[in-house]
Amino acid sequence: MATRNRTFLFRRYRDALKGVRVPPGRSNAVPSSSGGGPVIEMSNTTSTPLRKPHRSYAPLSTEDPATSTVGTPTVGLPPAWVDVSEELAANIQQARSKMAELAKAHAKALMPSFGDGKEDQHRIEALTFEVTDLLKKTEKRLRKLSAAGGPFEDSTIRKNVQRSLASDLQNLSMELRRKQSNYLKRIKKQKEGSDGVDLEMNLDGKPSVREDDDGFDGMSFNNHQMAKLKKSEALTVEREKEIQQVAESVNELAQIMKDLSVLVIDQGTIIDRIDYNIQNVAVTVDKGLQQLQKAERNQKQGGMVTCASVLVIMCFVMLVLLILKEILF
Amino acid sequence: MVLVLSVRDYINRMLQDISGMKVLILDSQTVSAVSVVYSQSELLQKEVFLVELVDSISMSKESMSHLKAVYFLRPTSENIQHLKRQLAKPRFGEYNLFFSNMLNTTQLHILADSDEHEVVQQVQEFFADFVAIDPYHFTLNTPSNHMYMLPAVIDPPNLQNYCDRIVDGLAAIFLAFKRRPVIRYSRTSDIAKRIAHEASKLMYQQESGLFDFRRTEISPLLLIIDRRDDPVTPLLNQWTYQAMVHELIGIKDNKVDLGNVGKFSKDQQEVVLSSEQDAFFKANMYENFGDIGMNIKRMVDDFQQVAKSNQNIQTIEDMAKFVDNYPEYRKMQGNVSKHVTLVTEMSKIVEERKLMLVSQTEQELACNGGQGAAFEAVTNLLNNESVSDIDRLRLVMLYALRYEKESPVQLMQLFNKLASRSPKYKPGLVQFLLKQAGVDRRTGDLYGNRDILNIARNMARGLKGVENVYTQHQPLLFQTMESITKGRLRDVDYPFVGNHFQQGRPQEVVIFIVGGTTYEESRSVALQNSLNSGIRFILGGSSLLNSKRFLKDLEEAQRIARSSTGVV
Repeated sequence: MATRNRTFLFRRYRDALKGVRVPPGRSNAVPSSSGGGPVIEMSNTTSTPLRKPHRSYAPLSTEDPATSTVGTPTVGLPPAWVDVSEELAANIQQARSKMAELAKAHAKALMPSFGDGKEDQHRIEALTFEVTDLLKKTEKRLRKLSAAGGPFEDSTIRKNVQRSLASDLQNLSMELRRKQSNYLKRIKKQKEGSDGVDLEMNLDGKPSVREDDDGFDGMSFNNHQMAKLKKSEALTVEREKEIQQVAESVNELAQIMKDLSVLVIDQGTIIDRIDYNIQNVAVTVDKGLQQLQKAERNQKQGGMVTCASVLVIMCFVMLVLLILKEILF
Repeated sequence: MVLVLSVRDYINRMLQDISGMKVLILDSQTVSAVSVVYSQSELLQKEVFLVELVDSISMSKESMSHLKAVYFLRPTSENIQHLKRQLAKPRFGEYNLFFSNMLNTTQLHILADSDEHEVVQQVQEFFADFVAIDPYHFTLNTPSNHMYMLPAVIDPPNLQNYCDRIVDGLAAIFLAFKRRPVIRYSRTSDIAKRIAHEASKLMYQQESGLFDFRRTEISPLLLIIDRRDDPVTPLLNQWTYQAMVHELIGIKDNKVDLGNVGKFSKDQQEVVLSSEQDAFFKANMYENFGDIGMNIKRMVDDFQQVAKSNQNIQTIEDMAKFVDNYPEYRKMQGNVSKHVTLVTEMSKIVEERKLMLVSQTEQELACNGGQGAAFEAVTNLLNNESVSDIDRLRLVMLYALRYEKESPVQLMQLFNKLASRSPKYKPGLVQFLLKQAGVDRRTGDLYGNRDILNIARNMARGLKGVENVYTQHQPLLFQTMESITKGRLRDVDYPFVGNHFQQGRPQEVVIFIVGGTTYEESRSVALQNSLNSGIRFILGGSSLLNSKRFLKDLEEAQRIARSSTGVV
């Protein structure tokens, strides 16, 4: 894994040559600062001419060659979709942090606690909803990323950005799904477990047995037991609701997954090969060029032919008119 | 020192330090080197959103200063010219230049001169100048691979280019491993000798600073041999999976193009066969054809089971499971259909060309004696209508190589028959092969009949019987590796370059075959490495041969040799 860094030597040569080359004043160019801040601002304010950002700067470069040669590499306007992609990336990041919170909440809810855990439940519900919503929203926006046309290279880049975000998103929703199904499973287990405990309490829990023995003539549930039953019923309903909710969000996630799988590259296939992609680009470019040439040819030919034929017809008409004129008058 | 890993490491290091959106620009050679080890989705993870070729990127003019350009190019003069033009009118935010080999001072000067806008951030040499197709097998994809057969006087500039490319590739291999080897070459080959000396000069004199690594106790060995020492291996039909696919359909940079074999749906027209990405292929690439059929059947059965369980989704749990397994399922589906397609196509070809019959005779010719029977078998196959032209030519070549000196009359008979049977046959090709790779020109004991020991060993093997008639041939390389393992490689046949001799047994051996390697040899090396004999072998070649490719090189060389003698 040896490497050799020639940057130093290169810089030395370059500096040496710079002295020879003149003009001075160029040295204040700092090419490395490609200026993130102002660039983004610009793209927000001027949203219409974004498709061809270099157009708006073209006059500038013809005006003053001395400064513009310095300016061209540094001043550049990223297309509008860059903002969108950044926003999407931020969304994904946000979803990820929410997921971490959710994981914590899940863990807390599953711990045995003395309270009824309603707060935890609400929190989980809210968080799950938020994350799912975020994922859905991101997915929708993602589709729009490659929608608008544009120059060829740009659209390739956009498609690739879309793919990369899509695979991020897919991983995230997979993770969310896995967490949820885990949670679901454990809640179910707990439910079964708690039912079992209740049953045991009723059968051989000493206090209740003794009470039964004492009041054998009553044959009906006493107040204490009724309250207990009601409570456990309420608990069951609650759990039922939870499960339902989680299942719903699982469904939604499944839908997202299916939609995303169209965008994501399958690993190990030919589409995942770098050279195949380059080749494809070259082929499409070639095809585009061919079609363009053909269209041009067609257009030219079509125009010429119609023009000529119209002229010929006109000639004929005129000739007939001329003959008629000669004959009639 | 596994090839694939080191190239991957280089690429990782190239991309990880540059933040933000990137465009990767390659040339026609580095694109192969990168493609075989790195995938598009991995590039996307590194925020590389555009990959372009250096000669096509100059076509468009649009400024894309929100992208940072990462160039990875061979330091050729065309590439430098491209770069010069592109640096004069920078389109990207910054330029990071990586070269796959050593830049000379002039090139560096040209680059520095053209960087008027000071957009270049770094210039580095990352020595990934080879195509690592398998962990222990690399190729250089050298253009005009027939050059090695021509004598040096015919076309000196092109031959120089050819040698330079190989020396560069070998230098890159050893720089990637951080080693300086001792060099040996096969005695009878001029080109191997020349390459060995040039490589030695580069490593020990011109760039001795660069190659001065921490001394390991024993230096690795670089053995440069000539394809013509073993012309038999590329002429045989193959019956192990990887080799067979290459022989019958053709593999290029781990890709198989099915376009000219039959009509397939768009995503099956070209498929990837990489031992790194495909577990099934990795497990079966060295298995023979019969076993692969069985294994594929098993895989299809497994897949059907999965597919069935995916069909009846009734409960939410089923659904959840399905979503969990969906990516896996898709991958499996693609894989299954890929291998099934390949094997079906190959068995069609085998049937059509009667390869079972042909191959049996080929193997007899390559491995066993018995001239009378061999002559009869070859004559019969020449008369057989369903045997294709290329198979006829190969049979005669194999016969000629084997019984070159023993009966010229029968050989002549076969030549005449071949000429009358195959109209496309170019006369004199077999003779040219004999002149190139005849018994007097070869180093090593190809047929194992030169000394008593080998003859005895062959007879013992004959008595024991062989497991599989179609895969009984062992390439000469196998013997060479065995001799190296036992420390018995003869100094007379494989001399050292300069005064750098081997002390003790080497632990790492790079065997480079000028003229190209075959997958049969790659298999042999992989099997040898799996024995853990304490020596690790790496195989490399100037290109990857199958019989078609080998014959094409031969024809090309014959054409040039003939036209040049005509001029002289």
